[in-house]
Amino acid sequence: MRSALIVLMLMICSAPAAIAQTLQPILQTHAAEISKPSRRSVGETLDAITRSSLPQATAFLEQWSEKNIWQRDDGVFFLGVADGNTLALTDIDTQATSSAPKANYKQLKPNGGVRRLIGTALVQFQLIDPDLPRRETAVASIARRPEAAQLAPLLASIAAETDPALKVRKTQLANFLSARFADEPADRIAAINSLATDTSVESRAVLNQILLVKPGVARTQPDGNIAAIHDPMDAPDAYYTALINEDLAPAKQTTADMKRTLKSNIVDGRIAGFALAQMNDLETRKAAYAALATDGLVPVLITEDLRDASLNNHVFYDLYDEPNAEITAAAHRVLGTVTSRVATAQVADLTLDALSLASIFFLAAIGLAITFGVMGVINMAHGEFIMMGAYTGYVVQLFVPNYTVSLIIALPLAFAVTFGAGVVMERLVIRRLYHRPLETLLATFGISIALQQIAKNIFGTQARPLTSPDWLAGAWVFNDVIQISYIRIAIFVLALMFLGLIIYILKRTRLGLEVRAVTQNPGMASSMGIDPDRINMMTFGLGSGIAGIAGVAIGLYAKVTSEMGSDYIVQSFMTVVVGGVGNVWGTLAGAAMIGFGQKGIEWLNPSNTLAAQTYMIFFVILFIQFRPKGIVAQKGRAAGD
Amino acid sequence: MKLRSTLLSTLSASVLCVAGSTAFADCANPIKVGVLHSLSGSMAISETTLKDAMLMLIEQQNAKGGLLGCELEAVVVDPASDWPLFAEKARELLTVNEVDVIFGNWTSVSRKSVLPVIEELNGLLFYPVQYEGEESSKNVFYTGAAPNQQAIPATDYFLEELGVEKFALLGTDYVYPRTTNNILESYLQEKGIAADDIFVNYTPFGQSDWATIVADVVALGEDGKQVGVISTINGDANIGFYKELAAGGISADDIPVVAFSVGEEELSGLDTSNLVGHLAAWNYFQSAESDANTDFIATWKAFAGEERVTNDPMEAHYIGFNMWVNAATEAGTTDVDAVRTAMYGQEFPNLTGGTAVMLPNHHLAKPVLIGEIQADGQFDIISQTTEVPGDAWTDFLPASAVLKSDWKDLGCGMYNVETETCVQLTSNY
Amino acid sequence: MKNTFIAKNPSVLWFMLGLSLFTVIVSICSEAAGTALISTSFLKTLGKTLCLCLVAVAMDVAWGYCGILSLGHFAFFGIGGYAIGMWLMYDRTKNIVVSSLESNILPATPEEITDAIGSQIFGVVGSSDFPLIWAFSHSLTLQLLAVVLVPGLLALVFGWFAFRSRVAGVYLSILTQAMTLALSLYLFQNDTGLRGNNGLSGLQNIPGLEAVSQATLSLWFFWASALALAAGYLLFAWMTSGKFGSVIRAIRDNEARVRFLGYHVESYKLFIFTVTAMVAGVAGALYYPQAGIINPAEIAPIASIYLAVWVAIGGRGRLYGAVIGAAVVSLMSSWFTGGSAPDINLGVYVVKWTDWWLVLLGLTFVAVTLFFPKGIGGLFDLLPRKGERT
Repeated sequence: MRSALIVLMLMICSAPAAIAQTLQPILQTHAAEISKPSRRSVGETLDAITRSSLPQATAFLEQWSEKNIWQRDDGVFFLGVADGNTLALTDIDTQATSSAPKANYKQLKPNGGVRRLIGTALVQFQLIDPDLPRRETAVASIARRPEAAQLAPLLASIAAETDPALKVRKTQLANFLSARFADEPADRIAAINSLATDTSVESRAVLNQILLVKPGVARTQPDGNIAAIHDPMDAPDAYYTALINEDLAPAKQTTADMKRTLKSNIVDGRIAGFALAQMNDLETRKAAYAALATDGLVPVLITEDLRDASLNNHVFYDLYDEPNAEITAAAHRVLGTVTSRVATAQVADLTLDALSLASIFFLAAIGLAITFGVMGVINMAHGEFIMMGAYTGYVVQLFVPNYTVSLIIALPLAFAVTFGAGVVMERLVIRRLYHRPLETLLATFGISIALQQIAKNIFGTQARPLTSPDWLAGAWVFNDVIQISYIRIAIFVLALMFLGLIIYILKRTRLGLEVRAVTQNPGMASSMGIDPDRINMMTFGLGSGIAGIAGVAIGLYAKVTSEMGSDYIVQSFMTVVVGGVGNVWGTLAGAAMIGFGQKGIEWLNPSNTLAAQTYMIFFVILFIQFRPKGIVAQKGRAAGD
Repeated sequence: MKLRSTLLSTLSASVLCVAGSTAFADCANPIKVGVLHSLSGSMAISETTLKDAMLMLIEQQNAKGGLLGCELEAVVVDPASDWPLFAEKARELLTVNEVDVIFGNWTSVSRKSVLPVIEELNGLLFYPVQYEGEESSKNVFYTGAAPNQQAIPATDYFLEELGVEKFALLGTDYVYPRTTNNILESYLQEKGIAADDIFVNYTPFGQSDWATIVADVVALGEDGKQVGVISTINGDANIGFYKELAAGGISADDIPVVAFSVGEEELSGLDTSNLVGHLAAWNYFQSAESDANTDFIATWKAFAGEERVTNDPMEAHYIGFNMWVNAATEAGTTDVDAVRTAMYGQEFPNLTGGTAVMLPNHHLAKPVLIGEIQADGQFDIISQTTEVPGDAWTDFLPASAVLKSDWKDLGCGMYNVETETCVQLTSNY
Repeated sequence: MKNTFIAKNPSVLWFMLGLSLFTVIVSICSEAAGTALISTSFLKTLGKTLCLCLVAVAMDVAWGYCGILSLGHFAFFGIGGYAIGMWLMYDRTKNIVVSSLESNILPATPEEITDAIGSQIFGVVGSSDFPLIWAFSHSLTLQLLAVVLVPGLLALVFGWFAFRSRVAGVYLSILTQAMTLALSLYLFQNDTGLRGNNGLSGLQNIPGLEAVSQATLSLWFFWASALALAAGYLLFAWMTSGKFGSVIRAIRDNEARVRFLGYHVESYKLFIFTVTAMVAGVAGALYYPQAGIINPAEIAPIASIYLAVWVAIGGRGRLYGAVIGAAVVSLMSSWFTGGSAPDINLGVYVVKWTDWWLVLLGLTFVAVTLFFPKGIGGLFDLLPRKGERT
């Protein structure tokens, strides 16, 4: 160990000999900044490093950004990789490797802001690097921090770009940069006009940056590229504050200010002749203040008239940062077009979100649509079946580390587990209570409480991870506004599949025929040779099994906890009831109504999601009061009353 | 009637003893330490850890010879995440079990529930969790972070180091996020961020549908300003939120997220590989490098199990308990008033380095750490401030800017500096 | 009249005797009486249990007698608590504010007082404006009226819509459950103005009675709760005996037939639903000053389900059954989950009651529904027969 240190020392001592080729001395002059860098001050250091034009500078910056640079007690920097308590070190300049105990070294951890600046500094080197990921990093850095100086090298690099996707991206970025930084106004306007069809956040950012304004106030309207003139009467108090801030008007007294002033003007227990005891009234206080003001003891109270008078003496304007009016006009026009496109896209995105939410509600409720909707059995433990499905998925992932395989195993297994649980519950409890629906409700509540607590005892109260495979992890991106995660699309597809499956089973199969017969008239059905017990058991099992699969899907998109069932149970019952009992299409309609309704309310009040949920439930309660049979009401004998 | 008498006898017997190995000759009765943490219900997952931490600290202290020659005895009760039950159990601890000090509570609402009882019976409570401030009770020592020890430094980090110009304040709809966001809103405006550049959203507990909100946040970037998210999202809801962030491919380089309620334990419910670089602000991370921390983690794992992690409120209890022991030793008694007087100015080394000091406003001066999430679910500490004194009444809301807490010299927890009067001596819960 | 009523309902007399005896014994054992055999915290538990018994009796009348399985009666209970809590908070804060402003050189204006109260109550959520919902909070009389009227009005409107549309059976249960859920979510929101998740706290300190110790106050509240339970029990016992009682029982057994006999079924149901909601409000108003804090979690749907569980286990359709169910199950719950019940060591696994109590309760409940629909109260059916023989 000691010999290794001696070797290291020797290497460092020999370093200054070849001063032109070494980076370490440059680093040492900026050692303080490098070991504790800040976004505001690191620029100088980065300049020094890049100006050295040393080949190892790029590597150093990259490794620094990756948190792989270590500093020894005496201040010398190394490239290091920690392994337990030892460090595998590489000299910055000579690339000589060695190892040393970790205790004498400190890892450098530049923060996100500094890393972004390092990225920008690296752009000039990485933009034409033969390595594709490096070029991509460079382009991403430009996108994050667009600067005028980047335009020329970026344009130069486009022609030689071999990767087609990156070439498109480079061209797009070059266009953004031209719109803001090109020398010729004509070039800029051309670039701006080409953005008219681009709804990306970046393109809007470019336009908005060109249209940046500074609010100002003056006696007379100033020269320059004026964006807008405001009428101060729209918000008199706010504009008066602006006047005060510019020292163009005296400050306005608040009631607290007034109180303070009054207090400091107490003479012999009286204020301007008013007794102190009278001061428990705002009007008296104003009168006393006015009396003090007429005596010249305090500044005059700024009344609304005084305020308006000084407001009308001034011009309130917004001034563009960009002096060229033609450019701002073009940007303004293009932004208008883009904004209306974005609005359309937002409506589309909201529709997608609503569709997705509706499909989640539908998926959670579809099992109920069978057990409650078709059979008329209230199963309050339905939510716990969803939970059981989700936990099945979690347990499978514990044993099968491959997420795709585990998902393929989990889906049928979840069905099997909850199918079994459903059958057992039907045989032991529900069968004894077929003619006492209220009692079924209560008994299944008991089961729900017990199952939830058992899940807590086994898995704990903490949420458990259920991770989706990579091919389900991302999002489908149409543009920056319209996008939806794959897992939501999968839930949507799953919901559609179940809808089809259930309709098919109920309408096209022997089982479905028997189910409908048993629900409508069990006595008659059994005299036709149908075994109602078996049919009820199968149907209930099917409904429960579907809840299990829904559980896996919901767990993938949200979370797996013992209480996830109770999050969905009331919602699911309302979905079925609102849609209309006894009809799977009704459940679909109910889910659509709740999903779209909730998103609609959210859109009206985007800062409060809880309110949307609350008001949606209120709405559903009202809806059921006026249309107790739901959207798709059953008619005729099947309706049952 | 029979049921009642059995209940009575078991209630009074509801004492969990921790036997010490040392002989405590000069002491007739052990000194009782109440532990008021939920062992069942929704908060059990977080609070059981703190109960275990307290048992460990008491065991350690007994091994060192106890306190004032007496053995320490833990009295553990279970308020079951039921807020009214917290008040009931606190009363039981103080009147039936006659404990000398209570360590407990996690949620703000449970603290508000316990406050009137503690003040009525002149008890002593150590509260270990970051909270919204706006409170200073004579009978409570707040060893967790006040907003200026977590939220404000994190916001400064966003402003100074990440250059964030537009803020999304996302929170769960309850008092801690509400108050914190109110404070941050006025702080940011003071720092020159326009009101239009602050987006606030509240979601219910356990929210899972995050697509629209994440899309709203992304859309904030449309005027070319750097967007940052300050998250006070609580508990399970974080899972859906981070999953949606990861699905949308939103990296920490594009839109950084700093969270105040996400620690080592919350991350264990998530695959963090897509979240690398997002941030959390605390006074303690398990990854902090110091000898005291290494020892603490080793003792904890030996006591509670190899797979257990340490977290910020545990460090708060560690500091609070040791300060209480030192203060009682100094005062020579466990009498509440004497101990309280001795508490002011108590110093104890932090696990993260530096020294925590108990201030006359019953808050600690502690350093603030900012960590980046790593792929292994731990945090990489990238920023550590010097000790920040905790402020009971925030300076960034007009109503509380004029308030000050000083129990040592002014003898008042809610002193109006402007009128120079004590607004009230007991809390208004 | 009274003689015949008691003669027809001997259980009422027994219940009253039992309750009075219980009250006297508890009073003697309390800290306020000096014997301190019962701690104040346990006295509060007993007082709260009596309130739960009262709401259980109301639930029993709605469900056991009239067949309305409401899964929302705890919402009314909570509203009662909020109504009284608003006055308690307002008045206590006002006392603090007025006394702290007294030392000011300039006497405070009414606006300043209101502002100061507002910022004390809502300051924690960063506001000082009084929401409209607090308009009557300064007046004890009005808030006491609200304890009865707000639950009554809500029940009246909700019931009117529901019964008019012939929403019955399980549909009504689900709808009432949705109502509680919506109400608790609504209260959870900060914008509602009832302090969101924190709720109203410090309710055990009664303004104007600061000098009275909690030991004495708890005893007073215990007496009030016992009195309210006695009054509620009498009211419902009287209502359910006689012709009115027969009609509502008939509605439970066969609604259609009663309707064909010419009774306006909806009015009867609406009346029962509203009256029981009002009684639930009173119970809540007595409960929460003893609990000290009310917040939206108190009226989450699960609370109302437990209410149904108590009544079912105690025995539906008999008032004392509801009392027994509520008292036994709620006291056992707090005992088992309090960590004081002894663990059972099975050798391979230690059964901790804090973990397994809910499982036991859930399964007991299933068993009661399946096999003992009469509940614990059913045991009393065995007694009178012995009496007849002698």
